[in-house]
Amino acid sequence: MPEWPKDPKYIGKSTPRVDGAKKVSGAAKYAHDVQPEGCLYGVVLRSRWAAAKITSIDLAPALKVRGVKAAILVREGSRQVRYYGDELAAVAATSKRAALDALRAIKVVAEPQPHVVKEHLAARPDAPRVFAETPNTGAGRERKQGDPDKGFAEADVVVEGLYATQVEIHQPMETHGGVASFKDGELTAWHSTQGISGVRDGLSGALELPQNKVRVLGEFMGGGFGSKFSAGVEGLLAARLSQAAGAPVRLMLTRFDESLAVGNRPSTFQKIRVGARADGTLTAFSMESYGCAGYAAGGPSAGGSTNSGFPAPYIYRVPNFRTRHTEVSIHAGPAAAFRAPGCPPASFGIESILDELAVKLGIDPVELRIKNDPMELRQRQYRMAAERFGWAAKYRKPGSSSGPVKTGVGCAGSAWRVPGGGTQAEIEVSPDGSVEIRCGTQDLGTGTHTVIAVVAAELLGLTPADIQVRIADSRFPPSGASGGSMTVTSVTPAVFDVCTKAIEELMRTSGLADVRGPQWRAACRKLGVSPLVLQGRWIDGLSAAGTGGVQMAEVEVDTETGFVRVKRVTCVQDAGLLVNELTARSQANGGIMMGIGYALYENRVMDSTSGVMLNPNFETYKLPGIADVPEIDVAFMDLLERRVMGIGEPVTIPTASAIANAVANAIGARVTSLPITPDKVLAALGKVPGAARDNPHDAWMSLFATQPA
Amino acid sequence: MKPFTYQRALSVDTAVAESSERCRLLAGGIDLLGELKEGLVEADKVVAVTRIPGLDTIEKKSAGWTIGANVTVATIAAHADLARAFPGLAAAARDVASPQIRHVSTVAGNLLQHSRCWYYRHRDVTCMKKGGDVCYAREGEHKYHALFTGGYCISPLVSSLAVALTVLDASVVVRGRGGERRLTMAELYAPAWDDHAVHHAIVPGEMLTAIEIPLAARRSAFVQASEKASFDWALVSCAVSLELEGGVVRQARIALGAVSPVPYRDERAEKALVGTRLDETTADAAAALLLEKAEPLPHNAYKVPIARALIKRALLAAATPG
Ligand SMILES: Cc1cc2nc3c(=O)[nH]c(=O)nc-3n(C[C@H](O)[C@H](O)[C@H](O)COP(=O)(O)OP(=O)(O)OC[C@H]3O[C@@H](n4cnc5c(N)ncnc54)[C@H](O)[C@@H]3O)c2cc1C
Ligand code: SF4
Repeated sequence: MPEWPKDPKYIGKSTPRVDGAKKVSGAAKYAHDVQPEGCLYGVVLRSRWAAAKITSIDLAPALKVRGVKAAILVREGSRQVRYYGDELAAVAATSKRAALDALRAIKVVAEPQPHVVKEHLAARPDAPRVFAETPNTGAGRERKQGDPDKGFAEADVVVEGLYATQVEIHQPMETHGGVASFKDGELTAWHSTQGISGVRDGLSGALELPQNKVRVLGEFMGGGFGSKFSAGVEGLLAARLSQAAGAPVRLMLTRFDESLAVGNRPSTFQKIRVGARADGTLTAFSMESYGCAGYAAGGPSAGGSTNSGFPAPYIYRVPNFRTRHTEVSIHAGPAAAFRAPGCPPASFGIESILDELAVKLGIDPVELRIKNDPMELRQRQYRMAAERFGWAAKYRKPGSSSGPVKTGVGCAGSAWRVPGGGTQAEIEVSPDGSVEIRCGTQDLGTGTHTVIAVVAAELLGLTPADIQVRIADSRFPPSGASGGSMTVTSVTPAVFDVCTKAIEELMRTSGLADVRGPQWRAACRKLGVSPLVLQGRWIDGLSAAGTGGVQMAEVEVDTETGFVRVKRVTCVQDAGLLVNELTARSQANGGIMMGIGYALYENRVMDSTSGVMLNPNFETYKLPGIADVPEIDVAFMDLLERRVMGIGEPVTIPTASAIANAVANAIGARVTSLPITPDKVLAALGKVPGAARDNPHDAWMSLFATQPA
Repeated sequence: MKPFTYQRALSVDTAVAESSERCRLLAGGIDLLGELKEGLVEADKVVAVTRIPGLDTIEKKSAGWTIGANVTVATIAAHADLARAFPGLAAAARDVASPQIRHVSTVAGNLLQHSRCWYYRHRDVTCMKKGGDVCYAREGEHKYHALFTGGYCISPLVSSLAVALTVLDASVVVRGRGGERRLTMAELYAPAWDDHAVHHAIVPGEMLTAIEIPLAARRSAFVQASEKASFDWALVSCAVSLELEGGVVRQARIALGAVSPVPYRDERAEKALVGTRLDETTADAAAALLLEKAEPLPHNAYKVPIARALIKRALLAAATPG
């Protein structure tokens, strides 16, 4: 079994990003920055209707606009549009202005049809259908374990609740898209993607080009969070426009486009019942839930992480449970995998009701979790986190702090279990001792460049600055997509393998007993004139899956204005063997900030009458700013024996739940849907005149009423 | 965005001569460029007014203070003398949007900015305010909308400075082709109360050149509530000013922002305070009076308790020496 070095110099320490200087100075070129000679400006024409039959699209007027080099349809012939923002056509022109003028010149003939953009309305039997042939809701999927009826009969207390989570949009800083250059039958695409190889395969398949004639590059990219695995409609359009125009085309989505069409986290509506003994031991769980992944759920593309399903009863041990989950389709943009798909909504429902149970039983929420959490590691984490956070002193009876501004605390746990694998890598060692590592993985901003440099430096006895890391080129040895928090677990074992092989080979050719560190240059000189090039691949035994984490949040709630301020978040995360603490910490910080947005601000707002998304920009789709970010305390359990693990996703899972529980603890009333905005806080406190009228539960309840239980 | 020509005016006369239905005046551009880019308005020409000399100063004269139209929101927020005289105005300026926006937006642009109703700002929705025939917000998403209106449009006034200036009895100086006119803050917004088509009283061919604030022995305060700590609009804002004599209120002004197409006042609430000493009870009674005529819709009723709390906070803050 291969083993990581026992007394590492770089692994587990904090190496600043090797590409940090490039990033802050602007030298790093993102897909957005790539400007090949003669590059055209590409734009997408989108549907103005939420539902319509498109009978014709006339591109001729667009082609007449000066500067326009190509105009293409997304699909030929008459077609159905199922959401506001669906792609219809695309134009490439020599300037942005010409491209936008051309978009306006395109003549679209459409027969608008009735639409439905709210989940509870879509579930009605008489609702306009998203797909004519199927109703908007199905029969649902059931899961069962043990004997739930018996479990509830054995319970000393039963609590019930209805919880809902909103549609959240990925909103990476760099929007989707890329630059495509079609030349001499070969395509080069600089694409903002989480999966270089997948984009290569997608483009070659769609354009019927041999895979060896398509090259995809993306050395730097500005975030994807699960929404950038494929070439996307925009990637394909860029390539087709380049083919049609005979020139490179840059097609990056605008923030408006980005908000509508390239993915989101599905909404969920969860009616939960939990039974427990007086000592807090869970005996039964039942849940009826709905979820909405936009239009797609009812269509052929439903499935995988693009549906709205989520794990339940999530991380807890409940001997008897019954769940039924039903998908609802509406006329809105489709879901895509989103950082820990399914988990934040799952966490919000179960963690909310566990706190209700804790209050009812008079048990400390942390103790209740320790009692019902089967993972020993997480039990330890709760104790560690409680210590760091000062839980014992801070946890009080709900709503019991004095004055109009109340403080409260909450906690929640997380799990993540996706193993790495399937990566190949290459090392080139030159006679002068310089080292290049090549791997067809990518760096989403998570620090892949740095992690590779750290591992190679450690093994070769060099410094991270000595390692030239080349990634995100589909001509390099392939790696998988960067999703599932698998990049580090997939890539580092392959780097380990090539470095080990290089050492062995150098020992052989140089005859030296040790070629690392101080001997490195001497050994490399013995290579003569040609560099040493070796391939390696992922090997078992260096990485693992199955991490756990715990977070605690402290909030301050102004009970007169409903304003929530997060004061502090403590995160204790199992990171297995930590590769680079600094970049891991960035992941945790970012995950927690994203969780704050999910908890308090973010929400896709659809308008029933017009069918449009009302907030397709950063002014109205509210994201946390730096002023909203609290003190964040992150502690990693650096456990060498657990091997390398990914943490990019688990760190965002429990944040919103912990915040929601903290708000409930502060004010003594629960906001049962995300985001927790001032209007809901005040309504929960009973301070809004006539709020019953507007209780969102009334609307959601109709979801549960439409189908017999 | 339709193409337009761009010109820089170097005098008020030029700006006024150019200004028309098809020629828009440009200050910081935060508001206008957004409208042009989204295709909400069209212009053949845009005339920048920020280089006109003499409009970017804050001056104290015997009758009062004059703030030039081009003074930025950031300058107001940072002006120590102004802040001493009108703490409410400085507080309002400090709470506007984000530092970047405060540094480019001007006081005139802030006062004359257009509706921020999400439907109004949407490129593919044509509501009443944009010449259509329905108000989408009434039947749809109106969480951020008005509690008081004389018409059908419920898009609220969002300028924080307008609210702060209202309680200071400020007026604006407006130059038209025929000469100059002065409008009180109430007059500046009065047409928007019941006419859904307008945002304020300034018409094409006019330019706002200055804001005048009379000297008075007043204390003022401004508070707002938002969803985020920064880069966010007020859900409700409240400005008050008080003239006190031995702790007794001689005159009071209370204005609410983001709850009506105009800075919302009710004389009854202000008069009720005269002759009283401010405390929780008198402040709350005034708040109740000011909110008496609120007509909340299903999604914006929460603004009522927020307004009530803010009125109290602003009154007590203004009454407390400091
Ligand atoms: C995210 C966000 C949050 C914000 N939050 C707040 C807030 O909390 N409170 C608040 O008050 N504001 C807020 N703002 C608004 C911002 O302060 C205004 O957009 C800004 O003040 C407009 O000023 P400007 O100079 O950029 O105006 P411009 O866009 O240049 O002009 C605005 C309008 O006034 C006209 N105009 C400009 N100058 C003159 C003149 N001298 N005479 C006649 N007409 C003129 C223009 O033609 C245009 O119609 C926010 C904005 C954003 C984007
Ligand atoms: S509130 Fe006014 S601006 Fe908003 S949709 Fe209604 S009419 Fe239009």
